[in-house]
Amino acid sequence: MDLAVIEKVVATLGAIVVFVFALIGLRGEWPKNGLDDIVTKLLLGLMAFGCLLVLLATAGLLPRGGA
Amino acid sequence: MSVSIAKQGYSLGHGHDEDAHEQVIYQETRDMRLLGFVLFLCSDVVLFSAFIFAYIYLRTTVAPSWPPIVGGHQLPRLDTAFAAVNSIVLFGSGVTMHYALENFKHANLRRYNVFMGFTILLGAMFLGGQGYEYAHAQIGGWSGNIFGASFFTLTGMHGFHVFAGVIYLLVLWYQTQRGVYTQERYFGLTAGTLYWHFVDVIWVGLFFLFYLW
Amino acid sequence: MATLAPGVKTGPYHAVLDHIHPEPTSFIRKYIFSIDHKVIGYQYMITGGLFFLIAGLLAELIRTQLLSPNGAIVSAATYNQIYSMHGSAMVWMVIIPLVTGGFGNFVMPLQIGARDVAFPWLNLAAFWMFPVAGVILFSSFLWGAPDAGWTEYPPVSLQGPPGTSMWCVAIFLIGISSTLTGINFIVTIYKMRAPGMTLTRMPLFVWGQFGTAGLSFIATTALAGALLALFLERTFGVPFYDPKHGGSPVLWQHMFWFYSHPAVYIMILPVFGIISEVLPTFSRKPVFGYKMIAFSTVAIALLGFSVWAHHMFTSGMVPWLQLPFMIITMVIAVPTGIKIFSWMATLWGGSIHWTTPMLFATGFLITFTCGGLTGFFLAAVPLDYHEHGTYFVVAHLHYVLYGGSVMGLFAGIYYWWPKMTGRMYNEVLGYWHFWLTFIAFNGTFMPMHWLGLLGMPRRVALYDPQFQFWNVFATISSYVLAGSVLIFLYNFATSFRSGKIAGPNPWGARTLEWMISSPPPYYNYKKIPAVLATPYDFGNPLPYIGLEAAAGAEEATPTAASHPVPTL
Repeated sequence: MDLAVIEKVVATLGAIVVFVFALIGLRGEWPKNGLDDIVTKLLLGLMAFGCLLVLLATAGLLPRGGA
Repeated sequence: MSVSIAKQGYSLGHGHDEDAHEQVIYQETRDMRLLGFVLFLCSDVVLFSAFIFAYIYLRTTVAPSWPPIVGGHQLPRLDTAFAAVNSIVLFGSGVTMHYALENFKHANLRRYNVFMGFTILLGAMFLGGQGYEYAHAQIGGWSGNIFGASFFTLTGMHGFHVFAGVIYLLVLWYQTQRGVYTQERYFGLTAGTLYWHFVDVIWVGLFFLFYLW
Repeated sequence: MATLAPGVKTGPYHAVLDHIHPEPTSFIRKYIFSIDHKVIGYQYMITGGLFFLIAGLLAELIRTQLLSPNGAIVSAATYNQIYSMHGSAMVWMVIIPLVTGGFGNFVMPLQIGARDVAFPWLNLAAFWMFPVAGVILFSSFLWGAPDAGWTEYPPVSLQGPPGTSMWCVAIFLIGISSTLTGINFIVTIYKMRAPGMTLTRMPLFVWGQFGTAGLSFIATTALAGALLALFLERTFGVPFYDPKHGGSPVLWQHMFWFYSHPAVYIMILPVFGIISEVLPTFSRKPVFGYKMIAFSTVAIALLGFSVWAHHMFTSGMVPWLQLPFMIITMVIAVPTGIKIFSWMATLWGGSIHWTTPMLFATGFLITFTCGGLTGFFLAAVPLDYHEHGTYFVVAHLHYVLYGGSVMGLFAGIYYWWPKMTGRMYNEVLGYWHFWLTFIAFNGTFMPMHWLGLLGMPRRVALYDPQFQFWNVFATISSYVLAGSVLIFLYNFATSFRSGKIAGPNPWGARTLEWMISSPPPYYNYKKIPAVLATPYDFGNPLPYIGLEAAAGAEEATPTAASHPVPTL
C-alpha cells in the first residue's frame, strides 16, 4: 500500500486515541485551581486541539490545495 | 495595636509544631519556584514567537510565491502525512506524561514507570522522526532559501528543546527511582511535566504553520 | 487599635522569612560568589561603573574626532566601530545592568522587607554572565569590532568584521542574564513582600522594578531570536535578512526594535522609581499621586510593547501602519506626563532640602522632560522623515538616556550611598559634580538638536564644515562632562576614609531600608516587620510594626513614640 495512506490511517487512529485520553485527563484536572493546574489545563486543551489539526490534515481538508 | 499583629505574624515558629512550620515553608518555596518556572516558559514562548513572526513576515510580505521558486522550479511542499504521524507521537507523549504524573501523585509507582517510560520513548521517536524528515526534505537545505531557513531553524530550535526535555525527563525518572520525590513533594516532576507540555504545544503551532498553511 | 486594613491578608511569607541562614565565612563565598543580593548589587554597580568609564572614553574619542570636519584622529572604519561599541556598551553593559541588577538587587528586597530575592543562586548565575559578556563585547576590538551602529542593521551587519558575531554572542549572553533577573524580581516582588505590604503600599521604586522586570523577561528573548538569526546568517549563510537570498533587512528592524523599544523603558522605569523616592524625602511631603504614578508605570510598560515601528518610519514599511504607531507613541506621553506633573506637585509647597541627590533628581526633571518632548516631535511621521538619522535623534536619545537614566542613577547613588557604605559623601564635591554635569551635559547635547535640524547626519566621521562651530562647542563641553565624572569618583573614593559615619537614616526617609543599620546586616531584618501604610506619609508615625534592631545596633525598634519622623 501507498506509504502516505498508511501514514494517514495511523495518524487518524492515533489522533482519535490521543484526543480522547487528553480530554479524559482534562476533565480530571478541571476542578483544580493551582497555577500548575491552570497551565496544565490550557496545554492539555491545546494538545487536544493539535489532534484535531492532525485529523483535518489526514482528511485532506488542510492544507488547502492538497499536501 | 502591636499585640494583635505580633500574635498573628510572629508566633509562627514559637510554639507551633515544627513539622507544620516546615510544611508551610516548603509550600511557599514551591509556589515561588512554580511561578518562576511558568515565567521562564513564557519567555521561551516569546523566543519561538520571534522566529514564527520572521517566518510569517518572510512568507507573506517578502516572498513572491510560496513555496519559493529556486533555480526556476517551485520547491515542493513538506510531507504532511509523515508529519501527522510524528505529531501524534509527540502529542501522545504529552498525554502519557500527564498520566505518569497523576499516577505518581496517587503513589501508583508501577504505572508511573510505564507511562514515564512511554513518554521518553515517544519523545525519542519524535526526534528520530524529525531526523528522517530532515534527511528527506526536498526544500533546498538550511541555507539554500528562506523556506529552508525558517523551517530548519524553527523546527531545529524545537527539536533542541525536545532533546533537552528528553534528558530532563530521564534525570527526573532516575531521581524518582532514588526516592527524591514523595507524594507530598514532587515539584521537579511538576516542572518537567509543564516543560514537556510546553514543548508539545509549540509543535502544535509549528505543525500548523509549516504543514497545514 | 490600629489593624491592617479590612480584608487585607497578612501576606504569605511570614513563615519563610523567619529563617536566618548562617553567614558564609570564606572570602570567596562572601565577596566573589555571594548569593547575598546586596553583594551582587555592589558587583553589578562596580562592573557597570567600569564599563561606563570605558564606554565614556569611546564617547570622548567620538567627540575628539568631530572637533574638525576632516578629523583624522581615527579612520572612518575605526570611527564606525567606536560609536557602535559606545552605544552597545552603554545600553547593554552599563544602564540596563545598573538599573536592574545594580539598584534593583540592592534596594528592592530591602524595601519590601525581605531577606533576599526569590532565587539567590539564579541571581549569582545571572550576575556572572555580565562581566563575561562585557569582556566578549570589548575584546571584539581585537578582531574588528561591530561597525553598523548599536542597531546593526543588515545588510551592513552581514558584511561586518568578526566582532559583529562576537557582539551577537555577548548581547545574547547579557540577554539571558537580564531575562533571569526579570523573572527573579517578579517572583520576589509578587511573593516576598512583608506582611501588610499590599501592592498599593509598596514603595514606588519597587513598582518601577516590577514594571521593568515584566518588560525584561518578555522582550529580551525577542532580541535573542534576532541575534541568533543574524549569527546563523553570518556564520552558516542561513538567509533571514539578506535580500539576495530572499530575506529582508526590514525583518531585522522589526525583530530588533520589538525588544529595543521596551529596552528604553527598561532603562528608564527604575530611574522613575529612584526619582519617586528622592523627591518626597527631600521635600518632606508625601509623593503626589502615588496610585497614578504606580498605574502609569504599568501603562508605560504595556504600551511600550506596541510602538516599536516608530523607529522604522523611513524603512519602507507600509504607510498605513505608520499612523497607528505614531498615535500610540504620542499616547505614551500621557502616563509619562502624569509622572512629571505628579513629581512637580510633590515638590510644590514642600520643605526642600537641596542635597546632591535632590539636585540630580530635579535636574532629571528638566533634562528628561526635554528629551521626552523631542521624542514627541520624532513621533510625528512627517517630522521624523526629516529628523531620522540626524543629530536630532542623537540629541533626543542622550537627553533621555544621560539626562534621564544617568542623572537618575547619580541621584540614586548619592541617595543610597550612606546606606551602602555607612558613610556620607562630601556634599560640596557633590554640588560641583551636579552643576558641572548639568551645564556640560546641556552644552554637549543641546546644540545637537539644531545640528540635526540643519542636516548633520549621525554616525559620520567627517561632516560639512558649516557644522563645525557647534561640534567644537559640544566637544569642549563633553570634556567638562568627563571631568565631572572624575569629581564623582574622587568623592566616592575619599568618602570611605573621611566620610562622616552615616547611621541608619541620615535623610529621615521612611522606606524600610532606612530602618536598619548602614550598611545593612547580611540578613537585612532580624524580624520582618508588618506594614500598615505607604511609606510616604511624612508627618505621621512610621507605618511599621515589629521591627527589631540588629544585634549590636544602638537603636531600639522604632515606634511612633520613640522615633518621631526626624527633620533634617
